[in-house]
Amino acid sequence: MSPTEGVSPDATVPAVASGETGAIETGAIETGAIETGAIETGAIGGSDMEAVPLRHPGRWVAAAVVLVLAAMAAHSLATNPNYQWGTVGDYLFAAPVLRGLWATVYLTAIAMAIGIAGGVLLAIMRMSANPVVAGAAWVYVWFFRGTPLLVQLLFWSFVGALYPRLSLGIPFGPSFVSGDANHVVPLFAAAVLGLGLNEAAYMAEIVRAGINAVDIGQSEAAAALGMTRALTLRRVVLPQAMRTIIPPTGNETISMLKTTSLVSVISYDELLNAARLIYARNYQTVPLLIVAALWYLALTSVLTAGQYQLERRYARGLAPGHARPRRTEAAR
Amino acid sequence: MTAAADRDTSGKEPSDRASGAVVPMVRAERVRKSFGHQVALRDVSLTVAPGEVTCLIGPSGSGKTTFLRCVNHLERISGGRLAVDGELVGYREHGGRIHELRPREIARKRREIGMVFQRFNLFPHLTALENITEAPVRVRGERRADAVRHAEELLARVGLADRAGAYPAQLSGGQQQRVAIARALAMRPKLMLFDEPTSALDPELVGEVLEIMRQLADEGMTMLVVTHELGFARQAADTVVFMDAGMVVETGPPATLLTAPAHERTRAFLARVL
Repeated sequence: MSPTEGVSPDATVPAVASGETGAIETGAIETGAIETGAIETGAIGGSDMEAVPLRHPGRWVAAAVVLVLAAMAAHSLATNPNYQWGTVGDYLFAAPVLRGLWATVYLTAIAMAIGIAGGVLLAIMRMSANPVVAGAAWVYVWFFRGTPLLVQLLFWSFVGALYPRLSLGIPFGPSFVSGDANHVVPLFAAAVLGLGLNEAAYMAEIVRAGINAVDIGQSEAAAALGMTRALTLRRVVLPQAMRTIIPPTGNETISMLKTTSLVSVISYDELLNAARLIYARNYQTVPLLIVAALWYLALTSVLTAGQYQLERRYARGLAPGHARPRRTEAAR
Repeated sequence: MTAAADRDTSGKEPSDRASGAVVPMVRAERVRKSFGHQVALRDVSLTVAPGEVTCLIGPSGSGKTTFLRCVNHLERISGGRLAVDGELVGYREHGGRIHELRPREIARKRREIGMVFQRFNLFPHLTALENITEAPVRVRGERRADAVRHAEELLARVGLADRAGAYPAQLSGGQQQRVAIARALAMRPKLMLFDEPTSALDPELVGEVLEIMRQLADEGMTMLVVTHELGFARQAADTVVFMDAGMVVETGPPATLLTAPAHERTRAFLARVL
């Protein structure tokens, strides 16, 4: 057999074989085709064949273009006086900015807690055998995903205009406690409710997709052992669903961190609003926006690292090469 | 250790036990099951006596697996009567009418019935040992130390004493299925259901699982086994039931049914698989 004859079968046969198995294994996952594409090139590139390597002039051109653009950006950042890096440094650790930063972290944590708890509840409701309960969950998701978050936030801040008095009591009957709406729903509550209830709608879809991804055989095995539905959900289904739920939830948390900046429209004092209050006084708009951006970047970097650790923890018991958790979220 | 000595007797004594007659472990009378318009079981009647091993054989789609799933109420029957150890499965007869049981009552009944699945269905996020102790601790309320000791005994019995800490993905198919058998036995069941336990295994791993099942049969466990392993049926079964198109075609001891079947359909099936 001549060398040239040997090349094509050796290189293509494994690639075709891996492509086939990939398509079968990841049949339900849309990214399957893309992944196997990467494997194919890897298999060919990784061969020990003694051949004159193929030249890739296009890669050099692309790298050169990117490097020139990066150099231009760096030069501009360093030399354009309008960035005022000195002012950025002055305000990076200023007390109002740090207070706003703390408020952002706090708001993100509470809104996500509400979102996750609400999402799990809605997902379970959605799968209920009771059509009224399942329908209510569907309507909730439809409403909160179907209207802009900004509108919802404004709505919560003006809830006093809609219901001047809020009371707790028997439906259509006497009330036990009642109070002024603006008192019962202060600015902080409006921000948290707006963000959290909206997030619950998205989390519901993520949790539901995660639960549906767990093989029905798992619930059957649990049922055959005499486990109740609640116990099965808690001990068997949810821990496995977590693997599919964690990565998009990490994305949601990172997204929430930045979305909290929207509550500046209802004048809640978080990071962006803190920056805005300062530049409204001293007109140093660009440096203060950079201060805010740097802090958002720092926080999202920390969250990304945390997400990586969580994913590793929930991948327990999985052999290497097992289907990886989906990175794309079905909900959006 | 025999299965009979292990058995949980805390449950209610079924009424017909008082008469002194042996209560069949499984009694199916004209059991029907349909999925929409598709009829899966037509008037299936059979009994399994305590301590007996019954193998269900037949072509795929004949309703063997569906019947097995009806026995622990993973499928709800559409008609007829199905009783395990003298009590109806999933229902209660009261005042001449049949009442559905609550999910909690069904769960309690299932504790007495072990099931082994074709695809093992081990919990992938738990180790072999945790798979076995999960239900005894969470469902039966056993103390963890007792459950762990029992699980270690069971793992030793299925020859996997050294793999207690392994996750299912780190075990071969045969090993996974042996853990699954140990998991079912940990609930000290009166009856074991096997749904094609070796069909998902590589041929060289089939033997180790059948060996465990033979041991279990020798120890007196009541077993209902859906299988394509006619060799196992010949050796271990007391009764073989041949099903086709949702019906029981023929029932008999393996020596008769597998060598001199009375029905043409049984003969045709055996000719194809032997």
